[in-house]
Amino acid sequence: MEQPPKDWDCPVLEQVNVSADYYLLSVAAPQVALSALPGQFVLFRCGTRYDPFLRRPLSIHQVKRERGEVSFLYQVRGVGTRWLAGRNKGDAVSMLGPFGRGFTFSGRGKRGILVGAGVGVAPLLFLAGELSALDWKLVILIGARTREGILRAEVFKHYGNVKIIAEDGSTARQGTILDLFREEVEEAHWEMIYACGPVAVLKGIQKISKETGIPAQIALEERMACGVGACLGCVCEGATGETVRYLRVCREGPVFDSHEVILRD
Amino acid sequence: MIDLSIEIAGIKLKNPVMVASGTFGFGREYTPFFDLDKLGALVTKGLTLKPCPGNPPPRVWETPAGMLNAVGLQNPGVDVFLREILPFMKTFGVPIIANIAGFNVKEFATLASRLSVPGIAGIEVNISCPNVKTGGMALGTLPELAAEVVGAVVEATSLPVIVKLTPNVTDIVGLASAVAKAGAHALSLINTLQGMVIDINTRRPALGNITGGLSGPAIRPVAVRAVWQVAQGVDLPIIGMGGICTANDALEFILAGASAVAVGSANFRDPLTAVKIVRGLEQYCIQNGIEDWQELIGAAWKGNA
Repeated sequence: MEQPPKDWDCPVLEQVNVSADYYLLSVAAPQVALSALPGQFVLFRCGTRYDPFLRRPLSIHQVKRERGEVSFLYQVRGVGTRWLAGRNKGDAVSMLGPFGRGFTFSGRGKRGILVGAGVGVAPLLFLAGELSALDWKLVILIGARTREGILRAEVFKHYGNVKIIAEDGSTARQGTILDLFREEVEEAHWEMIYACGPVAVLKGIQKISKETGIPAQIALEERMACGVGACLGCVCEGATGETVRYLRVCREGPVFDSHEVILRD
Repeated sequence: MIDLSIEIAGIKLKNPVMVASGTFGFGREYTPFFDLDKLGALVTKGLTLKPCPGNPPPRVWETPAGMLNAVGLQNPGVDVFLREILPFMKTFGVPIIANIAGFNVKEFATLASRLSVPGIAGIEVNISCPNVKTGGMALGTLPELAAEVVGAVVEATSLPVIVKLTPNVTDIVGLASAVAKAGAHALSLINTLQGMVIDINTRRPALGNITGGLSGPAIRPVAVRAVWQVAQGVDLPIIGMGGICTANDALEFILAGASAVAVGSANFRDPLTAVKIVRGLEQYCIQNGIEDWQELIGAAWKGNA
């Protein structure tokens, strides 16, 4: 049974500037905490007037169910997220959600590989916690252009073996996250790949998933208007069938099996 | 309790607040938020004869106090609508107006005929979509062509015919007069304004379709002006739309001459916008001692308020 989405004014518990333009926002949202699934997102109203006009979708980063807390890791990219970054403890933010199809998982003690590029790690921490609770053995790959973009690596360590890489060589390993990913895929037996990041990274993962036969679930990002499936604004191209068919990232996604979609730069 | 009901072209509305085509899907996605029977009417996503994939992404882009969209009429086609969607929509207990988007005159007539079934209260003729290469706005900017489409639709159905006009013309009153003469029963004013954004990072147009339709509060003054001009020049009921976010916005349209209003992009920001506007209109009437809200229609130029 789908939970009815609500529009809540939620108190901000904490706002932390994690590094560079990256922020971690924690809010008290017991209803969201209770019903949210890893990979789902929430729509934030940014501002009290009509500019910015649209809500901003942020994936759920971490949930503390017993405390009714939900956290969001995000990058300040424009006026909406800049406004959000200006909210402090005690302020209220209008949230709508949770929405979307999240990551799927079942069974205990399986082996999974998580791939998060840049702020793409955002939906993976919640997932890592859920998988860890099911005794999954996890390797978590975190990559970014620079060290400042390597986010939350210390927290991910609670749930698995974390490996980091930066493209500019500011970490011990220099290269792309796909370099790390290829090595890991060759070295061990994996039952599921979970990934989130820029399209170029997801395309690489899609290709390797196809070559190796290891199923992959990828979380996509697209500009949204309504976020609930009505406006058809946030689509991606579906890979099944002979004719062009667009899938709603907010409704059929944001998490897709990698073979379901055609990724375009 | 104020009686906000009104009849437009024979369609009985319990209140004058509708939701605009393309901003509410077929209603399903908004059922978790509120009982849709609180709406005056529900206008469907634009329907085409065959399933339409729509335009490539990105399809939406935020603009100052508004947004651009270039969805391009993605819809499952009239057959799937009639077979799989309409039965569900009929359970809402609210008049359903089918928005039709043909790519030529014949298609408009065929769509109107196919949709003349129990459960559909009226036909909204979309000759104003800026996001398709044929049909759409191409048919809606020339009065003779627009009249030809409307005439064919009126011929093909016994349902009330509402014509949704584009503001992307120099003489919207002339256009409205032409479709009125062709037999239209009501007008929807306005569809989106044609617009464009260039992403300075990629140095390319932001939308996959290059241009899109501008909506949201940024276009409200344009829409109010269109309603004001057409209401004084053409004797047809008008459904006003374009950037309506609050009851005060809706009142502007009513005072300009609209008999009903439709909420569009504001649904995306707050799914409860339409029901909040209904409440706001009731409060306005109570606070101002208005017993018959219809006296407000066009009051800004009739001077009877």
